[in-house]
This record gives sequence, C-alpha cells and structure tokens, in this order.
Amino acid sequence: MQPHRKVLVIDDESDIREVAGLSLQVTEGWTVLTANGGAAGTALAQLMEPDAILLDVMMPDMDGPSTLRALQEQRGTGDIPVIFLTAKVQAADREKFMRLGVRGIIPKPFDPLLLGQMIKDALSW
Amino acid sequence: MNALRWSSIRSRLTAIIMITSSTAVLLTCAGFTISGLLNLRSRRISDLSTVAELVSSNSTSALAFGDRKAAQEVLYALRPKPSIVAAAIYDEHGALFARYEPNAAFFIPPVNLVDGIHDSDNRLELFYPIVLDHERIGTLYVASDQRDRNSRLAQYGEIAAGIVFISLMIALLLSWRLQGGISGPIVELARVARLISRNKDFSARAHHRALSDRDEIGDLMTGFNGMLAEIEQRDERLLLIHNHLEGTVARRTEELTKANEELLDAKQTAEKIAELNARLARESALILNSATDGILGISIDNRPTFLNPAGSRMLGLTLQEMQGKTFHDAVHHKHADGSPFPQAECENAQSVSQGEPIRTKEDTFWRPDGTSFAVEYASTPMFDENGRHLGAVVMFRDITERLAIDRLKSEFVSTVSHELRTPLTSIRGALGLLSSGLLGPVAEKGQRMLEIAVTNTDRLIRLINDILDLERIGSGKVELIRGPVDARAVMLQAVEGIHSMAEQAGVLIVVEPSAGTLWGDRDRIMQTLTNLLGNAIKFSPRGSVTTLSGISGETDFVFSVADEGRGVPEKSLETIFERFSQVDASDSRGNGGSGLGLAICQSIVIAHGGRIWAESNAPAGSRFQFTIPLAVPEEPGTVTAVPLTSAPYRKTVLVYENDSLAAVGALLESRGFGVVRATSPAGAAAIASNIQPDAIVLNIAAAGDRQPIVELLQSSNETRDIPIVVTPQLSEPDGDDTALAADRISAARRDDDLIEALNHACDAPCILLVEDDSDLARVVITLLHRHGIRTFHAVRGAEAIRLSRQHEPSLIVLDLTLPDIDGFAVVGALRESEHLLAVPLIVYSAQDVGSADRSRLRLGTTEFLTKSRCTLSDFEAHVVRLLAATTKRKQEERDAAA
Repeated sequence: MQPHRKVLVIDDESDIREVAGLSLQVTEGWTVLTANGGAAGTALAQLMEPDAILLDVMMPDMDGPSTLRALQEQRGTGDIPVIFLTAKVQAADREKFMRLGVRGIIPKPFDPLLLGQMIKDALSW
Repeated sequence: MNALRWSSIRSRLTAIIMITSSTAVLLTCAGFTISGLLNLRSRRISDLSTVAELVSSNSTSALAFGDRKAAQEVLYALRPKPSIVAAAIYDEHGALFARYEPNAAFFIPPVNLVDGIHDSDNRLELFYPIVLDHERIGTLYVASDQRDRNSRLAQYGEIAAGIVFISLMIALLLSWRLQGGISGPIVELARVARLISRNKDFSARAHHRALSDRDEIGDLMTGFNGMLAEIEQRDERLLLIHNHLEGTVARRTEELTKANEELLDAKQTAEKIAELNARLARESALILNSATDGILGISIDNRPTFLNPAGSRMLGLTLQEMQGKTFHDAVHHKHADGSPFPQAECENAQSVSQGEPIRTKEDTFWRPDGTSFAVEYASTPMFDENGRHLGAVVMFRDITERLAIDRLKSEFVSTVSHELRTPLTSIRGALGLLSSGLLGPVAEKGQRMLEIAVTNTDRLIRLINDILDLERIGSGKVELIRGPVDARAVMLQAVEGIHSMAEQAGVLIVVEPSAGTLWGDRDRIMQTLTNLLGNAIKFSPRGSVTTLSGISGETDFVFSVADEGRGVPEKSLETIFERFSQVDASDSRGNGGSGLGLAICQSIVIAHGGRIWAESNAPAGSRFQFTIPLAVPEEPGTVTAVPLTSAPYRKTVLVYENDSLAAVGALLESRGFGVVRATSPAGAAAIASNIQPDAIVLNIAAAGDRQPIVELLQSSNETRDIPIVVTPQLSEPDGDDTALAADRISAARRDDDLIEALNHACDAPCILLVEDDSDLARVVITLLHRHGIRTFHAVRGAEAIRLSRQHEPSLIVLDLTLPDIDGFAVVGALRESEHLLAVPLIVYSAQDVGSADRSRLRLGTTEFLTKSRCTLSDFEAHVVRLLAATTKRKQEERDAAA
C-alpha cells in the first residue's frame, strides 16, 4: 500500500493546475492542492504542510526561484521538497536550478500519466 | 736548287748525294789535271834549262871568237830534240848572232834583257846568259813547243768525265739503296700527315720498320704516333666536352628563349599589374572610404597607421587625434564595466604584436567623450612579401544594434517557447488523461482521435524543442562547454541511452568503440550520436543491424553510424542536413520527427569545428559520419611546454544513478569532479573498465538494485579495485550495511559526507605500473590486489604520463624499456608536473642502472630493482613497504595541517 501523499501545485495557469492535479489524483491517488502564484503558494504550503511542492518557474509576480526562496526562508516550509515545473530545459538552467536547492526539475509539457512517477523518482518515494 | 725544293725528299736526297759526290770527283780530277800540267811544265823547264846550259857552254868560244858558223852548228846539234822548236844566240849587244828555226811557224823574238822563263800561249821560252870568265858575252834563247798541253788537258778532261760518270752511276745506285732508310719514314710520316689533314682522321698511324729503330727517325715516328694518340684522345675528350657543351648550349638557349618570352610576358603583365594596381588603389580607397565597417591599420607596436571615415565616425576620433597613443590606449583602455584595462593585460594587443589573427565577437570600445559601444572585431596580421611582420588590419563593427536585436530575439524565442508550451502543457495533459481512460470510458473512434491528438501534440512539442535548440546552437547562444571527452565512453553511453528504443524497434546496435580523447562538449556530442542512432533505428527494419564505430585520425575523431535501412537517395545526400528536409513526405507522419534532427547535428558538429556528411552504405542503408577534433595529444615533447597551471588535476568519477534528475552528478560537477554518467549496470561496468575512474558513485533509489552492479564491478579484474561510494539512500540503516562492509565500499549520508567519502576513496593508495610485458603486469596486478592495492597499468610511456597526471598515483613502478619512449623520458615528463615530483618510484628494469643514469631517474623516494636479481616476493615486499611509508607520511602531513 502506497503512502498517501499531499502535493501542492503552484502555477499561474489554471489549466495546468487542473491537468496536473487531475493527473496526480487519478494516477497516484494523491491529494492535490493548487495555488495560482507564489504568494498564495507559500501561504498554502505553511498552512497545509504538503509532502512536496510542484513549482512553476515562470510566473508573473513571484517567479519560481523567488517562491522557492520564500518557502525555504519561511518557518515550517523549508524542509518541504520542491520540484520545478518548467518550459526552460537548457542544461545551464538545469544546473542553476539544482544549485538553488530544488530536488528535481520536470520539463513542460509533461506526460500526465508519468508525472507522478517523475515526482516519485525525484524524491525517491 | 729551287727545283729541289719542290721535288720529293727521295729525289732531293738522291740529288744531294749526286751533287756532293760529283763535286768531289770533279775537284779530284781537276786537282789531278792541274798537278799533271804543273809537272809537265816543270819537267819542260828542267829540260830546257839542261839544254840551255849545254848549248851556252858549247857556244862560249864561238861567240868569243865571233864564229857564227860554229855557233850555228852548236845550235843545230839541237835537232834530235823535237821539243825544241826554236833557238838563237845573241851577242853582248843583243844582236842576233845565230839562229835555229826548224819550224818556220815560230819566230825568234828580240833579245830579252831579263833572264828566265817566259810563258806564252804555245811556247815556253828561256833566256839564258852566256858567260865567259864571269863576264857576260851573249844570251841564249831556247823555246820549247807547248802546244801539246791542250791536248793533254783534253785527254785529262775525258778521263775525268769518265770517272765522274761512273762514280755518279755508282752514287746513284748507292743513294737509291741507302736513302730509303731516311726518306722512307719521312715519306710515311708525310703520307699519314696528308691523310690526316685530308680526312681529319686522327686514328691513322705511321707504319714503318724504322719504328723499331732506336735512332732519331724511330723516335720521330714513335713520337709522331704518340702525338697522334694524344691528339686522338684529346679529340675524344674534346668531342665529349663538345657534346656536353652543345647540350648545355641547347639548354641555355632554350632557357634563354623561355626567359625572354617570360620577360616579355612579365613586361606585359607588369604593365597590366601597374594598370590594375592603379585601379585597385582607386578601388581600395573607394572601399575604405565607403565601407560601413571601421577599418584601422596598426603597426607592430600597436600604433594606428590609418583609419577609414566609418571607423573615425564610430570611434569619434581621427587618426591625428590617436597619434602618440597605442590603439589599445586610445579605445580599449577600459573593460565593459568601466574598470581600467591596462594594455599589458590585453591578450588581443599581445596577439596583434605577435602577428596572430584574432576574432572577437563582443567587446567594448571607448570614445574620447566617455561613451562606449559594443563592437565585434577581427584583426588580420599583415606581412610584407618577405614574411616580415608589419602590423595588422583591424576591422570593427558597431554591434550595439545587433546586440539589441539579439536580445529581443532571444527574449522573443524564450517568450514564444513559454507561451507555446504553456497551452501545450494543458492540451497534452488533458489529452493524455482522456486517452488513458482513467477518467472514464471513451468510444472506440473517440479513443482513436484522442491518440492522434496525443501523438501530434507530442510532435508539436518536439518541433518546438528542436527549433529552439537549433536557434540557440546556430546563433551561438548555447556556448559549447568544451573539455576533454573520452570517445569510447561517449559512444558507449549514447548506445546505452538509445538501447530501449532499439529494443522496441527490434534493431540490434553494434558498437565498435575506439580510444581517443576529443575536445568538445560531451553532452552535445552525445546528443548528435543519439540523434543519428535514433534516425538509424527509425528507418531500419526489424532484425537489422546498426553499427556505431569510431576511428581516431591525426587531428580528428571520426564517428560513423551505419544502418541497413532503406538508405538515402543519392540526390538527397547533400540536402538531407537542411532544416525540414525529409526524404519523402511520409517520413514526418510515419516517424514523428521534427525534420530538424540532422540540422541540429550539423549545427553541433560545425560549432565544434568538425564536419558531417552522409553516404550510401552498400549494399543497403546509409552511413552518417562526423568528425570532432581530438584534444591535443600528450606527447612527451609537448608535455614540457604545457605550463603546470594549465592542466588542473581533476578526479574522474563514474556516477551511476537511476535518478533521472542526475542530482549527484550535478553536485559532483559543481564540486570540481570530472563526472561520467552511466544509466545501466552493464553500461557502468563497461565505462568503468574503459576509462578507469578514480571512484564510482552509486546513487540508486531502490535498495535491491545495488547488488547486481556491485557484483558486476567486482567480477572483473579491471574494475574490482575501483573504490565505490554509495549515496544516502543506500546507507539507510535497514540492516543491509553488513553486506556493504567490503572495505572498498563506503557509504555517504549527506552531500558533504559524500564529497569527503569520495575524496577519501580517490586518495586510497593506488599504483601506476608501467610495464610493456603484459604477462608480468598481470601477475603484479594480482599480487598487489591481495593487499587491496589498486593498480593502473600503462604499456606505453605516453599512457604512463597521462595516467600519472590523471590519477596522481601513490607509487610508480617503471620499466625502462617501453614501446614508444623510454623510462628516462617518462620520468623527465613527470618531473614537469609539480604534484608528481615527490611520488615514490621503483625502477623495475631488466638491466642494472648505472649511477649516472640513476640521477636522471629520480622522483620522490626512488628505488632500483633489477628483474633478474629480485624475486617477485622481494618486489612485492618493497612495494608494500614503500607504499605504507608514503601513506603514513601523507597521513602525518594531513594531521599536521589539520
């Protein structure tokens, strides 16, 4: 029996939030929380203490790295593993992101059926 | 005598002899005649005197008495003497007293008062005194006829003529016989001389029996023949020289003719050139003045010599205003951020002074008013016709605008990429979920439509990715991260990565790797290989074979991907690398490619300075090949030239992780390790045995997956001694740690622990064995393995130098005789590297090493062992002792440092 997981998806695109959320629900049976931006995301993370956060990199107000920094600095959310969800997949970007302390990078677009597995691989669940 | 001059020598000799002998004979005859005549006269005189004395004494009395009659009678007594033709007696007064004239033809001359003989034509006359008592009383005249003298003379003449004639005949005969000895050789000489002068044939020789004579004639003939021989030889030599000269002259003539023609041509050309030069000068001036790029000439010491109007405009400076400054000081004196940039630090200024061409894509030039602009420039060195370095021409272009456009383009691409991907993410996600059936059943036709939608969305995504990739590589946006790349490892990894795709397609991939160190971007080379292999698999039928091979050339490494698929038509071989070029329209649908894969490969290869091409692979399929430059080989000669600082020593680590995010690899790279990745146990084992990393890191999520790879690595002689480090997941206390207790495996919990464990593992004692006898090497490696010592083995000297630099061994065991360079050269090269100076060395050679040689072979602690005198167990003991001492000393140093 797989452990029940709670995952927070932060993305400014509601369609992506919905698709990603639905994917994780139907393929892995996880509980999915969503937030439409960095500010909402960090607040929600503190409130709900998810097991992992799927974080979009390019967002209008607070981008991925800023949100990550906010999560790391915020009490209670610093240890939550963060995975970037990004359309930027250049090797240089990848290394830069890894140095920021993310646990994994999942390129957009993703295969909805493999999204859960990719998260599990990245976090060794 | 003149006639003789024209007659032959034979006649001349004969004539000379005749003349000589006849003259002698004639003179002799004349002598005899004269003497005969003289005798006749003296006899006559004596006769006459006797007669006169007799008559005078008889006539004395007659005269004294004047008895004429008696006197007459005395005279008549002369009758018996017919030679007396007249006689007379004169008295003391000279009157005729008595006379005797038997022949009237003679008359009696008057008395001659002078006594003595008187000669006349035909008589001999004598006047004789008649003396009585010492007193002259008269004179007696007696005359003798001497007309017979002429007949005598004639008689003598006849006799003489006869003698002369006879003697001449004899002389003629003799001369005829004798003169041949002298004239014969001369005639022969003359004949030969004539012959030669007529025929010009110096092979003719005089032949005569006189040749053998030892006299002057013989000498003359021998000399003549000798001279001829000499002349003939000289002639032959002359002929040779002549022929040679003729050849030379002919050649010279030809050359001269040619030179002449060339001169004419050259003259015409020179005229044309002058004309052309004038035109060029006009055109150059026009070009320089109208060029939109800045063109600047600088001298060897970096001082400006000319500047065109566009350059002047861009720099806000005229040539005059730059006088007295170097180009660098005039416009290049600050960095882009405004910090000072002294000329001594400017590599470009150095390069220009050294006559090297430069090309700078982006730099900053400063104007006198303090503003700056972004510039792209290229400097080309100028040399005169003798190769003397004059300076350089710098062409520069204001790229402010272009940079702005590039930035816009880049932002646009990035935005488009994001803006396209965002909706695609939703579409792909929604379609994926729908077609999966997880959201509920879909009608069969609807399902099919959903699959089509998914496939084409995937294609669209690939297309966008490829376009972005191509744009970035093509525009140089993606800078290649160049470094030394192990060709064999990259080939094995590429195949490893494409393995599952090949399996699905039922295509067998055969790798024929070859060793070589490339200079390039590992990931991009891998991308190219993956792309080509992917293509090969896509276009190959099930059961066919695709071969990946590599050949190391002199300066390049050639990769080759050959398949047995349907091949590329001849006419498409050239165009196949163009964007969206597909062999036929069905390709894009059938195989879901973007049509950009080969264009990307080409961009990558060109960015590396290589080339890529396709050819037919007879009998079926196609062969794609590309080259990547080799890293500059580490030859012993060049090793010395490499500065110590330019070859940073990096530990090479093989990372095997089934975590697709490559977290550990990235971490290790960021900490300065050289990282090689493997994605399967078999791949890891193959790569490990090929590149001999300093350590292997296993980052395996599932605990049960680690055992097979550890077993695989420890089963091979080549990999069993490589230290293994496992990452935190493995080391979780689940009771399995005992199985990992093997001393070569260490577990690391956190990042820093991992690095420390890795450093420790890499520092584990290892030995470099330089030995070309592979049997001996195998024995030594096995011996040392028992002590847990890792041994790198080098057969060749160059390999030994490379491995020493790469792994920094704790001890080097060196054989002196190696296939390429000898042990002395290896030690010499190692001494160039500071960190190898103190490495202990065991020289393990077949022959004894003399003390002079020993000094050339020292590194750190150096021992000399001779193979024949030292048993293997002695050798083993030496190695272990020396290694223990070194490890202990290092530990002490580390403790002291801590």
